[in-house]
Amino acid sequence: MPLNNLRGRVAFIFEEEDFDVDQIVGVKNIKITDVNELASLAMSSYDPDFAKKVQPGDLLVGAGNFGYGHPHYPPMRAMRHLGIAGVIAESFSPGYWRGEISMGFPQVSCPGILKLVERWDEVEVDWQAGLVRNLTKGTELPFEPLSKSDEQMLLAGGLVPYLKQTTPPSELTAERKGH
Amino acid sequence: MGFTITEKILARAAGVPSAKAGDELMAKPDFVLAYDFPGYTDVYFKSMKEDFGIERVAEPERFAIFIDHMVPATTPKEEELHIGTRTWCKENNVPLFERKGIGHQVAAEVGYATPGAFVVHFDGHISQLGTFGTLAIGMRRNVLEAFVREKVSIRVPHTVRVNLSGELTPGVMARDVFHHLVRTMGPASCRFQVLEIGGPALKSLTTEGLQTITGLAMFTGAITAIVNPDEERLAYALPRARKKLEPVFSDADADYAAVYDIDLTGLEPVVVIPPTPSNTRNLSDYLGLEINAGYLGSCASGRLEDLRIAAQILKGRQVKEGFMLNVIPTSQEIMAAAGREGLISTLAEAGAFVSSPSCDYCFGRIATMTEKQRAVSTGTLNVRGRMGSPDSEIYLCNAATVAATAIEGKIADPRKYL
Repeated sequence: MPLNNLRGRVAFIFEEEDFDVDQIVGVKNIKITDVNELASLAMSSYDPDFAKKVQPGDLLVGAGNFGYGHPHYPPMRAMRHLGIAGVIAESFSPGYWRGEISMGFPQVSCPGILKLVERWDEVEVDWQAGLVRNLTKGTELPFEPLSKSDEQMLLAGGLVPYLKQTTPPSELTAERKGH
Repeated sequence: MGFTITEKILARAAGVPSAKAGDELMAKPDFVLAYDFPGYTDVYFKSMKEDFGIERVAEPERFAIFIDHMVPATTPKEEELHIGTRTWCKENNVPLFERKGIGHQVAAEVGYATPGAFVVHFDGHISQLGTFGTLAIGMRRNVLEAFVREKVSIRVPHTVRVNLSGELTPGVMARDVFHHLVRTMGPASCRFQVLEIGGPALKSLTTEGLQTITGLAMFTGAITAIVNPDEERLAYALPRARKKLEPVFSDADADYAAVYDIDLTGLEPVVVIPPTPSNTRNLSDYLGLEINAGYLGSCASGRLEDLRIAAQILKGRQVKEGFMLNVIPTSQEIMAAAGREGLISTLAEAGAFVSSPSCDYCFGRIATMTEKQRAVSTGTLNVRGRMGSPDSEIYLCNAATVAATAIEGKIADPRKYL
């Protein structure tokens, strides 16, 4: 079973290299756990009307080494709550990448994406073809394939369901009789 | 074509004859390490039981937990978390290291930096075990995988090799070397790869200094750092090692994604300006900037050589009135050694506030700076708000610079005090 293609508008383009995702909700709000409150704060310093403009399925676009620093989970929790379906970036920082894939949140590493799209273009991530398509402009670019385990984790919907689906009881760390 | 130390370690851990960068493997970590933190270990322990039916782990000697954050507890809720951790460790017969210091340092002291071992943690600064030829990777939340099953999925990483040459002059430290690497190679230069440190300068770099460099590897984008351990590092690690393993080394003809030759001759102290660890600058460009506070500590720099140079600078001098200097040795072992050397009394007499090992000054639980204040820090990073108000500023530098700045209340060049 392949991953469902992503299709939506480019809701925002983070043009800054090494972007620290904590800035999305603001560092002072990082410890907030209520997702509604987080969502109401998200993007306030970038586009105060973001929440009103975004539609379910929309995507974010980032520059190189997106998620650098010590990224926390609340910013992207807020983004998912607003309907954001994934992030396409020139490249990603490993800590951020691992963290968000484990949440089952699609991340697409696509060198050249900043030149391919403008804000509000409609784009499609075709997992099978390995292409990001700009449906508004009729252009496309290949993206870097996911590792097998990353793909399985996205398919499963996150870390816990992935581990449940892919770990036979004999491979659990549990102590067993006769062990 | 030969193999990197990383490829050799992962091949053994996966039980395959050989592995090459790009291969996807299932590898069994020799050690699974974590510190307790709300939303992390408490969630893993619950998930292990409720989602996977794991009441007790087999091979408890493969696991270890460190209580180093929220030390000492300041609320009943924090203490409750620690009680949960102690209970789980006791029930599972898993070693617990509490109030011994910052886990990444303690891990080396108590034998998890086994040369040739594969170690996982959720925190990326565990990379500092690479000093001893240990492949230690921070997997973030995915470390749950290592808690619930014997093997973790891993794509064998490519390696970027850095050959260091030249020698450091007094007042220039490993901390400067690392930030110089970020400046020279770039904050994304090692993305998803291993930073392998080698070259003739290794001989003159201390083991502690190498722990600083390898521990900060994530700010080059690397998933970890590693060193082919020489006699000095092996002499530290082997007698403490918790597992008998043959140390392994990169072959001379190993395949590297990139090779950098970096000469340290003439390197000056640096400062990393806010708000990201990618902003390395020459210290000389920031001399005289008014500073309110200083922090000497963290898993990156709070070791004996850091305390020694700070004590050398502050001996017979005083921290400027109103300047808040916090000195936090990285571990109890280090603090005790510093006490025996008289460093603690020197620092206290100079007006430093000296406290017991804890992560709290670095990760921001102890965060007192208010808006418009500035600090110099040897913590791991300088993002907004880590030491208090998001409108305060953190300048990262070496321990000697923190000490010199504490005397003047302004960013100062430590070399004039040496």
